[in-house]
Amino acid sequence: MTPSSLVPITDIKPGATLAEALCDASGALLRPAGYVIAEADLENLQRRGIQTLVIVTPRDPAEDNRLREAARARVLHIFRHSADAPEAQALLHAVLAFRQEHFR
Amino acid sequence: MTHPSLAEMISRLHKLPAMPAVAMELLSSLASDNTEVDALARRIAQDQAIAARVLRVANSPFYGLQTQVGSIRDAIVVLGFSSVRSLVLTATVVSGLPAGRCPGFSQEDFWRHGLAVGVAARSLARALGRKADNLFIAGLLHDIGRLAMVVVAPDDYARVIATAHEQDCPLQQAEISAFGYDHAAVGAALAQRWNFPADIREALAFHHAPTDGTTGGPAALIHYADAIAKALDLDGAENTLLPHLDPATIDALDLDQHTLARVLAETQEGFDHCSLLLG
Repeated sequence: MTPSSLVPITDIKPGATLAEALCDASGALLRPAGYVIAEADLENLQRRGIQTLVIVTPRDPAEDNRLREAARARVLHIFRHSADAPEAQALLHAVLAFRQEHFR
Repeated sequence: MTHPSLAEMISRLHKLPAMPAVAMELLSSLASDNTEVDALARRIAQDQAIAARVLRVANSPFYGLQTQVGSIRDAIVVLGFSSVRSLVLTATVVSGLPAGRCPGFSQEDFWRHGLAVGVAARSLARALGRKADNLFIAGLLHDIGRLAMVVVAPDDYARVIATAHEQDCPLQQAEISAFGYDHAAVGAALAQRWNFPADIREALAFHHAPTDGTTGGPAALIHYADAIAKALDLDGAENTLLPHLDPATIDALDLDQHTLARVLAETQEGFDHCSLLLG
């Protein structure tokens, strides 16, 4: 999961990324998850009465490396009886590669 | 220590709570082309707790709907009957089949794993150009025999869990050592009793011995989906152990690395959203 936090819209600077899709009270989509907020959006959303946004929190590279290593160790633990089995190699390598990117 | 024989276990399956009626109707609709969708939608909508859970998932970002759906009928129109059927079945069996007390057994982890295998099987089926609906359900229910063993013989099964933990071996191996049969045998009996469609019965019976089923068939897909769900660590259990993989079955599925990577990503994403069904 991408780390995110709920921030008052008045504290958000242009360039921040939405961690979740933003919907209005009727459920209509205003901005999708992953949207990079521009200055005009901040004004527009405030006019619509939006007071807070869930935005992606910037990551610490050292913490990411630690989590990536922990995720790799966990995969090897799950494969502890089959790390050398030929039939498990494709899955093992695919999961290790996947966890390099998805480690939280 | 004497454990119930397979025949005794099967004869005691009536101790299990009945499969919820809506779930039975949905299961039988898997095998039938002329399902009364409208009537079924009305029946589903009567259970508000189930309907609410299903709508929560249907409205999650996973389905990318531009407007929210507010009723089961709308969800069927937008997502299709088969998708909604899978969601409703999951919500129904998860809340309708309580396991009772068995030390060491986590019903929450049990259903998380079932759901994860269902999602992985659906993704594998799509990658291989197969029909995905029944495979999702087969994955969800693949270990249902274990739930039956837990209900019928909770103390015996608690010892099986303790042994698997002490010996760091798969639960299935500890089941065979203690009972002389495994959850797949009990699941097969249950699937027959509940009149599940043939492909789901095959998946339940042979997911640990896929060479006894059709080559590349439902048991083979659930066999690999089980391993994928464990490899992705989706059940939340501490001592997760990759199940034994059958080399010929994995070879026959012939998945390249690119496809496997896509299946893993789809499984993780699908599980994250569908897990809203678990309450």
